[in-house]
Amino acid sequence: MTLQHVATSAPAEAEKPSVWRRIWQQDAPGYLFLLPWFIGFFGLTLGPMISSLYLSFTHFDLLTAPRWAGVDNYVRMFTNDPKFAASMRVTMFFVVFSVPLKLAFALGVALLLNRGMKGLTLYRSLFYLPSLLGASVAIAILWRQIFAADGLVNKFLSLFGIIGPSWISNPNYSLWTLIVLSIWQFGSPMIIFLAGLRQIPQDMYEAASLDGASKWRQFWKITLPLLTPVVFFNAIIQTIEAFKSFTPAFIISGGTGNPINSTLFYTLYLYQEAFGFFRMGYASALAWVLLALVAIFTAFSFLTSKYWVHYDD
Amino acid sequence: MTDAPMKLTVVGAETPIWRKRLMSVVSHGLLIAASILMLYPLLWMLAASFRPENEIFTSASIIPSSWSLDAYFRGWHGLRTSFSVFFTNSFIVSTFSVIGNVFACSLAAFAFARLEFRGRRIWFALMLMTLMLPYQVTLIPQYVLFRQLGWVDTFLPLIVPKFLASDAFFIFLMVQFFRGIPRELDEAAMMDGAGPWRIYWKIMLPLSTPVLATAAIFTFIWTWDDFFGPLIYLNRMSDYTVMLGLRTFTDSTGMSDYGGLFAMSVLSIVPIFLFFLIFQRLLIEGIATTGMKR
Repeated sequence: MTLQHVATSAPAEAEKPSVWRRIWQQDAPGYLFLLPWFIGFFGLTLGPMISSLYLSFTHFDLLTAPRWAGVDNYVRMFTNDPKFAASMRVTMFFVVFSVPLKLAFALGVALLLNRGMKGLTLYRSLFYLPSLLGASVAIAILWRQIFAADGLVNKFLSLFGIIGPSWISNPNYSLWTLIVLSIWQFGSPMIIFLAGLRQIPQDMYEAASLDGASKWRQFWKITLPLLTPVVFFNAIIQTIEAFKSFTPAFIISGGTGNPINSTLFYTLYLYQEAFGFFRMGYASALAWVLLALVAIFTAFSFLTSKYWVHYDD
Repeated sequence: MTDAPMKLTVVGAETPIWRKRLMSVVSHGLLIAASILMLYPLLWMLAASFRPENEIFTSASIIPSSWSLDAYFRGWHGLRTSFSVFFTNSFIVSTFSVIGNVFACSLAAFAFARLEFRGRRIWFALMLMTLMLPYQVTLIPQYVLFRQLGWVDTFLPLIVPKFLASDAFFIFLMVQFFRGIPRELDEAAMMDGAGPWRIYWKIMLPLSTPVLATAAIFTFIWTWDDFFGPLIYLNRMSDYTVMLGLRTFTDSTGMSDYGGLFAMSVLSIVPIFLFFLIFQRLLIEGIATTGMKR
């Protein structure tokens, strides 16, 4: 090989390397780094999704092969399953009350803390602690005691001569104990609100107070509109979490969803169908209805967001 | 220039000092009351684990009349299998989950944040979509799969998905952080002939300790707290995690030993509480910058 040969062939190769070589150099590293994620994505997410969609049209008890059932599962769900209806009501009620109340608390406390208070970091940490611990079985056990007939709440009420009911075994109140537990964990949306509040330029308030705007007016005209992206974000995250909530209802009701199905969360019902009665086909159908609910809610939020979420360009 | 002093006087005139002080006292009062109200249940549970059994149902105070560790000894051996086993199991599952999650998610995040390859945007969008996916949709086929592999009643269904970066949230968290690291660093390394692996290992990871620590701590806490996974995959008591142990405690004793139950409940949240004490700043910043659910 002469020097000249090398000199002429090198540029040619640089200009037109083989397709495979280019793929190897350009694309391979990315795909290699993503390899674990790809295995997970196809093997544990996409594959199972397709498979569960198929199972939702079958009867399947885990031991024998799935039997095709057409839309039976879905028809039964919407026409002939009082427990499905109950679990849907419970979950909707929980979402509709727990999410706005939790966010209102989070925002209220964040506004108080944002006034340049001394001890901000201490308060912030104290309020965050329940969020961090709240998903634990231990807290659900504690809650079950607090709201029992001889629990902490009733002991306080008895100081004022009130004899409280057994909150967790009374179907009128049992779901509310779970809503209170959810509100108790307002710490993490509060932290996100605080971060959002810090982004609002201070001079906007100064200009507003020069114009004689009251604090109340400033909140509605400056703080809240500028904070809507954070409200939007928190609302979506918390709503999806509320739809998926499982452990507290399971522990507090001992896995039953009682009294009279008043704490039968959708996820709890799905668990009972799948792992209590081994109706895996029906449970898959339930899962797809849940996904549809979450998807509709998310799409609806994004579509309406342009009317109420303030984005500055 | 001329506005500035005037603005100060106007604002000052509007809110007199005494009013500011009053507002501050009222705010602190509210916040302190709220803190006490929120933390009271936790302190009460702590007190209940130390006080005589008969006092648990009669006292709402958070100071026991006498202190004893009896409930801890009773609770520790309150079930057929002792809590030593449950704690060991929880530590094994959580530790491996942390290793898997940090490793697999940082690999994926590096690819998304730094490497150029065809289809990157599509995969990234798909990854973000899995964030919204309720786990129930994949639950049953995953169970069938793990059952066929013979993994039921082992820790593998709880650990292996972590090594496959199944928790997309942490990929997103790391991508955000990696994007903030100046590109000049990897470009310089590339000039020196470093390949993607070396850049990932020698530059990105050492510069990313805050986000890796945040991911590690949250993974530990969430795995430690996880109830649903162990509930489905672990049936033998010798495999139980602490959370399953607690649940069995509430069933089996028919709530007769509240002291023991509370003592074990307190112990079960000690590891989380320690992480909170030591790393609260890191955790709070992690939430503030990315918006975490818990």
